[in-house]
Amino acid sequence: MRILIVEDEQALREQLVGQLQESGFVAEAAGDGEEGLYLASEYDYDCAVIDLGLPKLSGIELIRAAREAGRKFPILILTARGRWQDKVNGLEVGADDYLVKPFHYEELLARLNALVRRAAGWTQPKRRFGPLTLDTRASQILLDGAPVELTAYEYRIAEYLMLHAGKVISKTELTEHVYDQDFDRDSNVIEVFIGRLRKKLDPGGKTQPIETQRGRGYRFTLQADGD
Amino acid sequence: MTHSIHARLTLAAGLLLAAFLSATAFALERAFRDSAEAALRERLQGHVYALLAASDLAADGTLGLPAALPDPRFSTPGSGLYGQVEGLDKGTQWTSPSQLGLTVAYRSEGLAHGLRRYETLSASDGTPLMALSFAVLWEDERKRFHHFIYHVAEDLAPLETQLAGFRRTLWGWLGALGLLLLGAQLLVLRWGLTPLRRVAADLAAIEAGRRHALTGAYPRELQPLTANLNALLQHERAHLERYRNTLGDLAHSLKTPLAVLRGVAERGDDDTGMAPAVREQVERMNQIVDYQLQRAATAGRTPLAAPLDAAALLRKVAETLRKVHAERGIRIEIEAAEAVSFRGEEGDFLELAGNLMDNACKWCRKSVRASLERVSKPNRGGAGGTLRLRVEDDGPGIEPALAEEILERGVRADTRVPGHGIGLAIVRDIVAVYGGELSLARSALGGLSAEVRLPI
Repeated sequence: MRILIVEDEQALREQLVGQLQESGFVAEAAGDGEEGLYLASEYDYDCAVIDLGLPKLSGIELIRAAREAGRKFPILILTARGRWQDKVNGLEVGADDYLVKPFHYEELLARLNALVRRAAGWTQPKRRFGPLTLDTRASQILLDGAPVELTAYEYRIAEYLMLHAGKVISKTELTEHVYDQDFDRDSNVIEVFIGRLRKKLDPGGKTQPIETQRGRGYRFTLQADGD
Repeated sequence: MTHSIHARLTLAAGLLLAAFLSATAFALERAFRDSAEAALRERLQGHVYALLAASDLAADGTLGLPAALPDPRFSTPGSGLYGQVEGLDKGTQWTSPSQLGLTVAYRSEGLAHGLRRYETLSASDGTPLMALSFAVLWEDERKRFHHFIYHVAEDLAPLETQLAGFRRTLWGWLGALGLLLLGAQLLVLRWGLTPLRRVAADLAAIEAGRRHALTGAYPRELQPLTANLNALLQHERAHLERYRNTLGDLAHSLKTPLAVLRGVAERGDDDTGMAPAVREQVERMNQIVDYQLQRAATAGRTPLAAPLDAAALLRKVAETLRKVHAERGIRIEIEAAEAVSFRGEEGDFLELAGNLMDNACKWCRKSVRASLERVSKPNRGGAGGTLRLRVEDDGPGIEPALAEEILERGVRADTRVPGHGIGLAIVRDIVAVYGGELSLARSALGGLSAEVRLPI
């Protein structure tokens, strides 16, 4: 998952970026509203965390401009004062949720996961794909009811593919959304992760959940139950 | 009376008008009397000349007048026109037949020939008369001179009657004119004072929240006043805005470091064992900042606050909460049949409704219901009335004892209870600032029913 952080306080910004990276996110940060708007319009994110009190361009204006530019990713606003006027205004211009500073990191993480899942059209935190269950709230994948041991990156790749089940995801897109930008795109790390995921998610080789489309990317093939 | 410009001007104009009309009447009447008297004198003079012309001097030096006199009124007794001729040392020569039975005390002495004297006299029956005495020297054929004095008198009653008639007409017209002028004056005053009345009405409209500034086209004399009032209003709003922004900056600069501190404490890689204490203190500072800043930011009702569409604001809050709690599939119902306008600060109302509804959403199982209505009508001026906002949920509700505690003394930030506490404490404070009431009860839905009554 690729997350945009727009926060002017350097300490908090760096802390957030660090924590999100540890949780397996690709986190990119901007220190003011203008830079934030530039990133938001130029790149594709899965979610954005935007502070309302930003220099140069306020959070509200940034959200409005991003929405007007057709950016659809979910937006979580951070507000220092927690005044309802700020929350109402923020959600009115297009944000999807708010969090009042100071917040628990777990809370932020849970909100981010929920927003990304909702953006994918899921209403429940858990979703079953045959023997596999994706639990976005607990950030884990279950195989026949038992948790699968995954590294943070492995989980993020699997989650991304499952959230976009049925769609072909290019290696570039996967890299951008799951890895840091400076990652060497020519390396075969993705292939390595996909190989490991196939073994962990389908030890018996029966369901073949991840399909390789030569020259195009990968596709999660299992149908969600109830679809 | 001195408190009304209109009454002052009306009184002054009325008095002035009365004085002016009285003086005019006096002068006109005076002029009329003078001219009527002058005419009478001229007539008397004419009578004297006529009598002179008709007189006949006998050889013995006595004077006689014919039976047919120049003016028939001399011949008619009691006609009001009388004549008498006195001869110097010779006694009365002639008395007009009209003077029959009347004695008029003409004065002959001290009148040299060729001179005349006018005077007012009373006849023996009390009739007021205007008399002319004219002394002549008559030369007969033998060159002897005879001194006669001609007296002519006319009754003054017709003159007085004429004067009275004139006076009546004069006062009638002047009275009518006075009323007309007074009416015109009132109209002019009304028209002249209209801009002042309009300013007053516009100010009332601002006070009632129907307008934001004095925007009418006011006369030049009032423009400095209205411009200053507008500047004052503007200043007041800008001041509030600046104050809010300062509070916002303060909150931002206090809470961001708190967020960092909390993040550090939660990383769990500290071996000093201080993390729990730091977390607790951060939490406490956070609550104090929240609560105190919220209190400071509550604007309250300024006299010139604009009207708010309370129902629209409530729907905005509901929309926000639906989005935020989309996961849980909460049903949020808003019942607001009529547009209820509330005179106050938008931020305050959003804070109030937001806290109540957020609490309800946090604690409910499936349903939240908010109803807004005007429970008592405003008075004729559009002021007064009461707004009732009731927010209910189907959650567990709160203990009556706790509700009591929150309502009675509020909850200080450092001793607050978790859950409903801080939100309700904030609501309670806002309601208190607006002079309203907050009451907590059990809802028909099963959970808490929080009811706020605010004077509109």
